[in-house]
Amino acid sequence: MAARAFPSGGYKAGVGFAILLLMVSPWVLPTSWLLVLENVLVLALFATATNLLVGWTGLVSFGQAAFYGIGAYTVALAWLHGIASFWLAFIAAPLIAGLIALFTGAIALRARKLYFALLTLAFSELFYVLAEQLYDITNGANGIFGAMVPALLVSPLIGFYFTLAVVIVALALLYRIGHSPFGLTLRAIRERRVRAEALGLAVSHHELAAFTLSGAFCGLAGALYVVHDQTAYPELLNWVKSGEPVIVAVIGGISSYAGPLWGALFYQIAHDALVALTRDWQMALGALLLLVVLFRPGGIVSFFGGREER
Amino acid sequence: MNFASVAIEILSALTAAANLFIIAAGLSLVFGALRIINLAHGSFYMIGALLMASLFALGPPEVLFWPALLFAPLLMAGFGAVLERLLFRRIYHAEHLVQLLLSYALSLMLADLALRIWGADTRTVPPPAVLAGVLSVSGASFPLYDLFVIALSLIVGLGLWVLLRHTRFGWEIRAAVEDAEGLSLCGRNVPALFTAVFALGAFLAALGGAAVAPLQAIGPGMDSAILVSAFIVAVIGGLGSIAGAALGAAIIGFFQAVGTLWLPTWAPAFIFLAMILVLVIRPSGLLGAPQRAWAEEE
Amino acid sequence: MLQTKNLGSPVRRALSPMITRRDGKGSGKRTMARHIKTERRECGSGQIRALFGATGLAAALVLAGSLTARAGEVTVGQSTSLSGSIAQLGITGQRGITMALDKINAEGGLLGQKVRLVVADDGMTPANGTTNARQMILSDHIKALFGPVSSAVGAAEETLAAQYRIPYFLFTSNDVRMTTQVFTPYVFQVVPNTVMEPRAVARYLAELVGKKPITVAVITPNYSFGRDSADSFIAALKAYGVDVKVLTQQFPKLGETDYTPYIPPLVAAHADYVFVGQYGGDLITFTKQALGFGLFKVSTVVGQYGRQVLTALAGQVPAGTIAFDRAPYWAMEGEGVKRFTEAYHTRFHEWPSAWAILGYTAVETWAAGVKKAGDFDGDKLVTALSGATVQTIRGPITLRACDHQGNVAEYVGRVSREVDPRYGQQIYTDVKAIPGEETMLTCEEAQKLQPRH
Repeated sequence: MAARAFPSGGYKAGVGFAILLLMVSPWVLPTSWLLVLENVLVLALFATATNLLVGWTGLVSFGQAAFYGIGAYTVALAWLHGIASFWLAFIAAPLIAGLIALFTGAIALRARKLYFALLTLAFSELFYVLAEQLYDITNGANGIFGAMVPALLVSPLIGFYFTLAVVIVALALLYRIGHSPFGLTLRAIRERRVRAEALGLAVSHHELAAFTLSGAFCGLAGALYVVHDQTAYPELLNWVKSGEPVIVAVIGGISSYAGPLWGALFYQIAHDALVALTRDWQMALGALLLLVVLFRPGGIVSFFGGREER
Repeated sequence: MNFASVAIEILSALTAAANLFIIAAGLSLVFGALRIINLAHGSFYMIGALLMASLFALGPPEVLFWPALLFAPLLMAGFGAVLERLLFRRIYHAEHLVQLLLSYALSLMLADLALRIWGADTRTVPPPAVLAGVLSVSGASFPLYDLFVIALSLIVGLGLWVLLRHTRFGWEIRAAVEDAEGLSLCGRNVPALFTAVFALGAFLAALGGAAVAPLQAIGPGMDSAILVSAFIVAVIGGLGSIAGAALGAAIIGFFQAVGTLWLPTWAPAFIFLAMILVLVIRPSGLLGAPQRAWAEEE
Repeated sequence: MLQTKNLGSPVRRALSPMITRRDGKGSGKRTMARHIKTERRECGSGQIRALFGATGLAAALVLAGSLTARAGEVTVGQSTSLSGSIAQLGITGQRGITMALDKINAEGGLLGQKVRLVVADDGMTPANGTTNARQMILSDHIKALFGPVSSAVGAAEETLAAQYRIPYFLFTSNDVRMTTQVFTPYVFQVVPNTVMEPRAVARYLAELVGKKPITVAVITPNYSFGRDSADSFIAALKAYGVDVKVLTQQFPKLGETDYTPYIPPLVAAHADYVFVGQYGGDLITFTKQALGFGLFKVSTVVGQYGRQVLTALAGQVPAGTIAFDRAPYWAMEGEGVKRFTEAYHTRFHEWPSAWAILGYTAVETWAAGVKKAGDFDGDKLVTALSGATVQTIRGPITLRACDHQGNVAEYVGRVSREVDPRYGQQIYTDVKAIPGEETMLTCEEAQKLQPRH
C-alpha cells in the first residue's frame, strides 16, 4: 500500500470539480456566503498547514496561531509603521513566520509529546503577551485597524479570487510536500519515531523542517486573514486560536490530506450558523466537539469509506 | 526601598503564590494520578467562586463565610465526580490530543452553562469581619484577608501531604500511579479511586475560586484568566508533584509581584519564558519524576 | 520502508479501548482490524459524493434564503459582546435597544414598517464582529448597525459600515478614534468619547480644588483606551489651570485580577487624588483590593463607578469618592429618563445601566434620522442626521456635522455615604452634568485627525 505521489483519477476529478465550484461561486452565491467561503479557505489553509505537523508528523502543536498571528502582524505592522508596501509585506509574511518557526521549533522540539504540546502552547501565549504589551510597536490590546489592504483587494470579488488563488497554490504545494519522499518520512516518524531513527532517518531534521514549513504556511494564512478583515489583534496569537486548526483538523479527520479541508468547511459554517442562531453557541460548539472526539474520532472523512490516505 | 515596602512586596508575592498553588495542586494531582490534562480546570475554579457567591445570598455574610468556603468546593467536587464518570473515564488512555480537545470542549460548555445559570453580571462577596482588617507593617498596610489566603494554602499543602503520605487513600493513589492494574488485582476498586481523585482535583480548583472570591469581581471570563497561570505553575513544578506545584507557585508568584513592579512591560512575558526554559531543560518539571517524561513515548 | 501491518493513526490506536473495554488496559492492537476499512472502492470516491451532496445542500439553502424576505418590516442589527467578562455591558445595551424598538413598533412602526432586531455575539473578537456585521448587512439587509462594547471591534465594524453605506451608531465603545482617525460619515457617536470623558472629570476636579496645588497618581489599563484616558485627564487638568503634579503612573493589563503589585506604590505615593481608568469587573476587583490596602484612606479615588460596579460593591465604596458615569439613571433629570428607568425596572427587575440608556438613545437617534430623511437609505440618513438635533429621553442631542459626535453630557459626582434603599446601591451627591460642548475636541482639531478624502 504505497502512498501515491499523484492522486488517482477519481480524486483528481473531485478536486477539479471542487475548484470549478469555487471559481463560479461569486456569480452564484450571495455576497455574504462568499465571505463565509473566504473564511473557509483561509481556515482550510491554516488547518492543513497545522495538520502537516499533527496528522502527518504526529507532533501535536498547540502553538500554530503564533505563526498565523505573526503573518498577520507582518502585513499590519508594515502598514502601520510605513515600512513596506502591502505586496512586499504579504510575500514577507510566510517567510518571516517560517523563520520564527525555525527558531521556535529548534527549542520546542527538544521536548516530546505532551511537553512539546505544552511548549508550543507557551510560545503561543508568549507571542500573544508580547503583541499585547509592546504597546508602542503593536498598538497593544486594541490591535491594528485601518486601510492596510489595497482597495483592489477589498472588493469582495477580487478579494475572493485572490484568496482562492493563493490558497489553491498553497494547498497544492502542501499536497506535494505531503506525498513526497519527505512526506513519507514524516509519516514514518509519526508511526514509530524510534524505529525511524534506527533506520537511519534524520528524524530531528525532518521534524524541524516540518515545523518550519507548517509555520510558514500558517503565516501565509494569517496574511490572508488580514486581506479579509483588515485588522490584526493580539488574540490571533493565543492558545485558544492555536486550538482552532487542531479542532478543525480533528473534526475533518487528521489522518487524511483532505480531512482539514472538510473540517474547515464544516466548522466555519457551523460556527457562523450557531452564532447567528443562538446565544448558547459556545455550548453547541463544545457539545459538537465533544461528540466528535468521543464517538467519531476519525472525523468527517471516516464517513466516506475508501482506503485511508497513506 | 524601606523595610515596609519590601515586606509588602514579599507578602503580595506570597498571596499570588498561595492562590496559584491551591489551583495548580489540583491540576497536578489529577495529572499525576490519572494522566489527564484537564483544560476545564479553570471552569471548576470559576464555578467554585460562583457557588460561593450564590451561597452568600442565602443569609447573613458573617455566618455564611466559613460553611460556604467548605460547601462550594464540595458541591463542585460532586459535580466533578459526575463529569468523571460520564466523560473523563472514557479517555484515560487516549492520546493527550484527545484529552486536550475533550476538556476544552467541556470548558466551552461549562462557560455557557455558567452564563445561563448565573448571568453576565459580576458579583462580589465580602470577607468576614474578622478578616476584613489590615495588618500594619511599620506604617504600610496589608490586607488581613491576603494573609488568610496564604495560611489557607499552607493548610491545603500540609493536608495534601498528609493525605498522600500517611493515609490509606493516599497510598492507593500512589499505588495506582505506579501500577493501576496491579492495584486492581489486589482487590482495590480502581475506578472508584479515580473518581475520588478527580473529585479531589475539582474540590481544590473550586476552593481556590471560593477563597479568592472576596478579593475579585466574580463573573464570566474568570475561567480562561486563571487557566494558563495554573498550567504554567503545575508544569514548572512538575506535573504530578504537589511540592512541585508549591515551588512553581512560589516562583511565578515572585515573578508576578516583583516583575510588575520593576519591569511592568515584560513581566507577563516572564512567566512564559520560565515555562519554556523549564520545559526545554527539564520537561518533567523542577520536582517532577524524570522517568515520567520519557514514559510519554510509546 | 513503511510497515503495512501495524496500521492506523496513533489517534485510532489510542481511542480503540474506548469502544471496546473499560478495564484500564492500554493496548488496543488486537482490535485494530475493526477500524481498517478494507473495501476496494477507489480512493476519494466517497469524498466526491460528499462534495455533490454539499453542493446540493448549499444550493437549496441559497434558494431558501432568498425566499425569506419579509414585507412590511425592516431590520437593524447589533453585534456585541454577549459572553465573557464584558457581557453585562453588551446585554444591557441590547435591552435598551430592544425597549426602544418595542416602543416604536407599538406606535405603528417607522415609516409604516415594523422594525426587527438581529443580534449576534462577537465574543470580544474583531473577526467575529466583522463576520456578524457582514452577515447582517448582506443576509439580513439591515438598515442600521448598532455598535459593540469593545473599541477594537467597533473600529473594524466601522470600516465595514462605510463600505456598505450602513449608518453606524456607537453608544458603548467610545474611542475618539472612531470620529477622528477612522472617521467615516456613516458613524454617529451618542456617547462621550475618550477625550470628553476624562476632560469632564478634570473639569469637575478643577472646580473642586481651584488654585490649590494637588498631586495625582494614575492607574489605567494598558491599552489605548486606558492610556488615552490618562493622558487626556492630566492634559485637561493643566488646561483648566490646575497646579498638578503626577507622582506615579501604573498600567496593569486589561482584565488583571491581581492588583497587589500595583496598589502599594499608589499608597506609598500619598497622592491627593488617584485617577483609576479601570472599568466594570476590573474596577470592582481593584476597589476590593485597594480597600484592603487602605488606599481610600490615603487618597481620594476617582473612578468610573456606575450601576454595575456600585451594585456589586453594595455599599463598600468609601463616601466622597469621585465617580463618573455616562448615563447614571439616579442622577439624570428629565421625565424621559425617569419613565425609562421605571419601565426597565418593571421589565427586567433591575435598574438600568448606562449602556441601556445609551442604547435607547441610539435607536431614538436613528429613528429621528429616518423620519427626517423620510427614508431608510444610508446616504439620505447620513445627510439628514449630520448636524441635526434629535430629541431623546436624555434631552436633545446635537450631532456635530464635522465629526458626528453627539454633545452628550458626562455625569460626575461624589459617592454617597448610604446605600439608597430603593436602588440597592450608593448614589451620587454633588452631581454635575458636564455638557458635551465644553469637553469635545474643536472641529478643527477633529478634522485634522480625520482621513483625507
